Amino acid sequence: MKTLTLRFAALLAGLALVGCTSKPVEKPEQAGTLETVDMGNHPPMVKLADPEHNEGHVGRKPRRLTVAQLRESILTTTGRQWSQINNLAASLGQADFALTVSESTEANLVFAKFVEDGAREVCLATANADFNRAPADRVLWPDVTVMNRDFTTMSDDAIKANLSYLAVRFWGQPFSAAERDAWAGTFKTVAARAKTINRPEQAWGAMCVAFMTDSRFITY
Amino acid sequence: MSRNSVKNTLQRRTFLKAASAFAGTSLFGGLSFKAFAQQAQALAPADHCFVFAYFGGGWDALLNLDPRDPNEFTPERISETRILPGYSLLANDPTYPTMPIQRQGSNIAFGPAVGRFADHFDVMSVVRGINMNTVAHEVGFRYFLTGKEPNGSAARNSSTATEVVGQLYPKMAANQRPPVPNLAFNIESYNDRYGGYANALRVSSANDLLLTLAPSPTAIDSEIEKQLIDMRGQPVTCESQLYDSRGLVTQYNDARKQVRTVLDASLDRYFRFDQTTGDPPAVAMEKAATVARYQLRVGNNGFTNDPRNSSAARAALVATALKKGVSQCVSMNIAGGLDTHFGTQLTQANNQRAGWNALADLIADFKESDHPAGDKWIKHVTILVFSEFSRTPLINASGGRDHHITNCCAIVGRGVKHNFVFGASGNVGMSAGVVNYDTGRPDRKGFQYLPDHVVATIMASAGLDYSIMRVEPLKGLMAT
Repeated sequence: MKTLTLRFAALLAGLALVGCTSKPVEKPEQAGTLETVDMGNHPPMVKLADPEHNEGHVGRKPRRLTVAQLRESILTTTGRQWSQINNLAASLGQADFALTVSESTEANLVFAKFVEDGAREVCLATANADFNRAPADRVLWPDVTVMNRDFTTMSDDAIKANLSYLAVRFWGQPFSAAERDAWAGTFKTVAARAKTINRPEQAWGAMCVAFMTDSRFITY
Repeated sequence: MSRNSVKNTLQRRTFLKAASAFAGTSLFGGLSFKAFAQQAQALAPADHCFVFAYFGGGWDALLNLDPRDPNEFTPERISETRILPGYSLLANDPTYPTMPIQRQGSNIAFGPAVGRFADHFDVMSVVRGINMNTVAHEVGFRYFLTGKEPNGSAARNSSTATEVVGQLYPKMAANQRPPVPNLAFNIESYNDRYGGYANALRVSSANDLLLTLAPSPTAIDSEIEKQLIDMRGQPVTCESQLYDSRGLVTQYNDARKQVRTVLDASLDRYFRFDQTTGDPPAVAMEKAATVARYQLRVGNNGFTNDPRNSSAARAALVATALKKGVSQCVSMNIAGGLDTHFGTQLTQANNQRAGWNALADLIADFKESDHPAGDKWIKHVTILVFSEFSRTPLINASGGRDHHITNCCAIVGRGVKHNFVFGASGNVGMSAGVVNYDTGRPDRKGFQYLPDHVVATIMASAGLDYSIMRVEPLKGLMAT
């Protein structure tokens, strides 16, 4: 009986290995575009309800990130942690299960203020660190060739490509073309100002703040 | 007076303020006129504000709200009365009277430790003889904080402040809502039924509040910041509108606008009682008045209260938070160190008096300050002063007093009768009172009353739904 069980387990492991390696997921050709993920033998997904049968809504109700999710999201997207997140966890809504027994996920003033504080700390530190990294290791502008820390020389296409990359990195979804173009226009102004005041890290750093404080980052 | 009438009253003043401010800043390319007008209106204080002041550790009621005449309750009669006021034990400090305090015209007698609080008898009611049903600190404290007897020691309801905000906040127009409606200063707060909007911002010091109100510690160039703000205002896509059909994104975006409003108003500077550098003259004058009123220590000017962490500083923070429209409900631990099983009468009295004097300054501030909606502030604020229970009427072998089940409280300001005593504790062992609810007078055929009744009365007098309390308010206590 024991031998049979071991053989069955080995067979399962082998099948799992084949399943994992037989269809390698191809990376999107262009940054910012999403490809349908092959779900293999996953059971069929439940279709979204027709908005007419869902009180006019599409899909389920969006939710704000919990403090634990926010902590992981910041770390995952920027590679560093906001130094104050644990100190401010209670104000951000984390339950202590002594005085507060449920997590508050209200997107209120205190949350908005502290997320802005956190985004600034993390994003500007990340932007500063990126200047000293190899292009492939950079977080905020991995494929950008920059001379003398001057981002005003970036071409429109390069700016848009990097914004598309950041949209997927921070939000997990691509930009619409119109929105990307608007953000690119803002970036040019920001980059020019960053050059004028000789604070180059504020160019992509400020855009990082915009991505991180956007509702698409703090909801799911 | 409704908030609409507040708005109407403010209209002309708001317009003039906005116009003058716009004239000044437009020269430098500052905020738009509309933004200024909205900013001035958004931070109007609430029409009815609440303060919950807690004395931590269990206070000696004989020293504050439920005194006894030491000539009547003498040591010789202890076996008969089971009460010993012990005021003679305060005689080492000549600033303490050795008899109950009763100002001219007052119907309320106070114990020797209330300090200047006794001066404000004309705007308060005192409730005596409350049955706490407990002599455990956390149980009594949470009982009074929520108005519901805890399950074991676990709170069984929302804090009264949360209940008030939970009911009032949704009824306010979005631009009339205070940015931090429920502020809990060094005190617990519970929310068991309302949305996150009613959660208290719990701060342990003024620094925590400053973090919320002050600009981000990591600065971004102001021009770049302006670009980011402009970008937020761009039209959203159809997909975004569908995603936001339940309003979460709108709520978040409104909160971000509120952050801008708070930051633009530089509210943090009003709470930095020990700093005046960079303040405009008007702000500096206002802060100087606050510092003087609450006797906060600034430099070597002889004031004795720590401007960051003292009873007086907490009272000043409460006044500022309410008057600047930052909050509608503030709960605070105004004084502590009252669990004097082994302490002396003097220790208890000293610790109490710091809190009572701070409250007296707060009430004086409210009596003298004009509310934007008209009348003085005292007509727009309700203050509940409480402790978890009182101390035994007899002094123990260690010279202190232990826990006693009968309690008292003070309710100041709007909603209750003034210069009025409701109920009484017994003259034998200060037992819990039995009163007629309609008159507040002792009545053998009456009923005992609990913290539930006190909280229900506060809610009913504010026009709030008190059904959660499952008791009727004390009609004899409510303002007619």
